[in-house]
Parts: sequence; C-alpha cells; structure tokens
Amino acid sequence: MEIKKPAVAGTLESSDCMVTVEPGQGEIELDLDSVVIRQYGKQIRKIIHETLDRLDVNNAKVTVVDKGALDCTIKARVECAVYRSNDIRDNLPWGGVIR
Amino acid sequence: MSDSWIGQIYPGDTRGMAMVDALLEKEGIRRDGNLDYTCAMFDENGQAIATGSCFGNTLRCFAVSGAHQGEGLLNQVITHLIDWQAGRGQFHLFLYTKAGTAPFFADLGFHEIARVDGKLVFMENRRNGFPGYLKQLEATRRDGVSAAVVMNANPFTLGHQALAEQASASCDTLHLFIVSEDRSFFPFSVRRKLVELGTAHLPNVVLHDCGPYIISSATFPSYFLKDETDVIEGQARLDVEVFKRIAAVLNVRARWAGEEPTSRVTGLYNRVMAEELPKAGIRFVEIPRVQTSGTVISASTVRACLRDGDFTELKKMVPPSTLAYLTGAEAEPVLKKLRQAENVVHY
Repeated sequence: MEIKKPAVAGTLESSDCMVTVEPGQGEIELDLDSVVIRQYGKQIRKIIHETLDRLDVNNAKVTVVDKGALDCTIKARVECAVYRSNDIRDNLPWGGVIR
Repeated sequence: MSDSWIGQIYPGDTRGMAMVDALLEKEGIRRDGNLDYTCAMFDENGQAIATGSCFGNTLRCFAVSGAHQGEGLLNQVITHLIDWQAGRGQFHLFLYTKAGTAPFFADLGFHEIARVDGKLVFMENRRNGFPGYLKQLEATRRDGVSAAVVMNANPFTLGHQALAEQASASCDTLHLFIVSEDRSFFPFSVRRKLVELGTAHLPNVVLHDCGPYIISSATFPSYFLKDETDVIEGQARLDVEVFKRIAAVLNVRARWAGEEPTSRVTGLYNRVMAEELPKAGIRFVEIPRVQTSGTVISASTVRACLRDGDFTELKKMVPPSTLAYLTGAEAEPVLKKLRQAENVVHY
C-alpha cells in the first residue's frame, strides 16, 4: 500500500503506542521512542517492519511513541494508521493482510 | 477514573474556562490570549481535572489537578490534542514547557530544540526536525566572515534592500532568512521572490527559509498576533536561543537588523537581541531606517500606501522589482485583501 497522506493511530496512554505514518522518501524511515527501548527495542522494530511488509508498505516515514504496548497492540496501531492514510475505513481485509 | 471524559471548552463557555484557568493558575501558568482549541478532562462530578490547548502547530497551557497527578491524565490530554491537530492536518507539533516537565514530554516523543535560561524548554515531535534543518543549513556554511539577516519582507522595500546591501558589504557571506510562516498579507512565495529579485545584485547572499524555527507561530506567535509585553519578550528570548544554534552551525558572527521606531513587537525583539546575542559572541548591528522625504520606510507604511492607492509615495519606498510586482495583475488578490483590511500596520 502507498502512504498517501499523514495519519495517526493509537494513544500515549500506558500499554498503548501512538503510530504516525507519513509519505516517505523512497524507503521505510522508522523513528521509535519507547519507555522499554532497552528491553524490547529490537522486538518492537521487528513487529513494526513485519506489519509494514505484510501491508506491502515500503515507502513511509513512521514515528512510533511506545508506552509499553504488547506486540498485538503495536501491530494493530500500525495497521490502523496505514489504512487511515488511505482513507479506508470499511471492508478491511480481516483474515487477509490483517490477521 | 473510568468515568472521566475529555471535551472541548468553547471560548464562550465562561464556566468551563474559569475551571481551566483555575487549573492553570495552580501551575503558575496564565492562559494564552491566542488559542485555537482548548480541552479539559472532567471527573464524574463534572469538575475539570486536567487541561491542554492548541495554537497553530503548537500544544500549550497544560495542567493537571494536584489530586490527580501520577494517573497519566496528561498523556490522555496530549493524545487528544495530537488527534485534534491531526484532524486539521498538523503533524509536526511544537510545545514549550518548564525544564522540570521536559523529561515527561520526552517520554511522549518530544525532542528538545532549545531552552531559555535553563527554565523554559522548546520541543518538537520530530527527532530529526531541528537537527535536519541545521544539517541542511550546514551545506551552505562558507569560510570567512558570515553574517545573518532575518526578514519578513511584507513586502520587500528599499529599507530591506539597504539593510541587505550594508550587511552584505560587511562580510564574505550573508545568510538571509525569510520568514516562511504564511500569516502575512503577502504570501511566502511572493515575499521570497521579491527578496530574491531585490538582492540579485548581491552575489554573496544566500537565501534560507526560516521554517518553523525562526519567527514562526511556533516560536514567536506574538509576532503575528497581539500580546502582552512580557509574553512577547519571553518568545523573543526563545527565538534568539534558537538563532544562536543556527548561527553556530553557519559560523555567523553578526546579526543585522533595521532600527525599529514604529513596531512595538519588532522593537522589543531588537532589544532582546542586543542583550542576548553578544553573550554568544554574536555582534548585533542595528542600522538606522532609510528615509524618503522625511518619513522612514517600512513595510507597514508601504502597505498603508497600497491600501490607500497612493502610488506616488509607494514608488519612493520600493525597488523596481517590487514595484513591478505590485503594479502587475498578480498582486491584485493581495491588494484587494489590503484594501479591505482595517489594520495593515505591524503592532
């Protein structure tokens, strides 16, 4: 999917994360802030990249502010931001690329 | 906790605003005169327990009731404000906060740009925002003596030209910054073009956009909208701190400005620069205004002439390139706006 315009998903509350996606400059540029970056930084990055790959997003500036979200939450917030940037709100591909 | 909710406080809601003011007052903060949006979080009894506001691309005026600190309410308020800003297409956000609270905002993805007197911290939600801007500027760094001028050029007059000429003659490279915030009568693209044309004869001038970092509605909202003297001064100090970091990157040793007899806000700004810049080893040079038949040339006077259709006076105050634009068809929408405006003079 193409990142057509900036979009935000998630919150800054504890155990959640806020994901912002914006049109990129030819690659994935990930800026991660996390309260548990030392413990789980690698794992969080991995989840974000995997989710973007599955959605076929390869050109985006992605900013994630993590407040200790679980993997499933991070994944859901990334998916939501990407679909919002495409103005897709209905008929989401549950069980397809979103699983 | 679960019964609390966040809602907008409209400017006419005196009861809501009184609760917001009470929260702010306990934190020693006065509510800004110019705000686009204010929200509050209410508990189950309808009492405001946290608040935050937006202006332009900034978040401001936050407070949480003493009885509810440590519950993460501010995180919810900031989330709400970020969502609201996203709704109107603002993603690059700025805020100022006290030094003690800065680490809290660092945890919310905000990064420090500059601080004033170790007390007030200016932050943005882009890790690579200001560092990226500085890196871009660094590419234009030249050896030898460098100086800088910042102008809004609304529009470019003979006064601006004289300032650029004198500053340019004093150094090897003149970095000329144009205010990019689109809050002036003349749009940024026009202001930039007229500066370009009006300084084309000065080969050592390098033009830059101020971006959101110098005289923008993020650093210096009171430049564009009326405010109290102490507010203007505080914002001017912050702007000067940001400029010091830019000057360091470009090896700028002097900042040039025109004397300011008429505009209060620019006058204060000049005074703060005269006080603060020498502390960072930057010379502040204020040159007298250029005059024409006894009156000083200023962009405000030019705008007044345009509003009144006084082209005889106008011709004495602007270079041929600006005059050509002002008398062309392209200027018509701006002139129409000027003619309808009540006040065209910078306060």
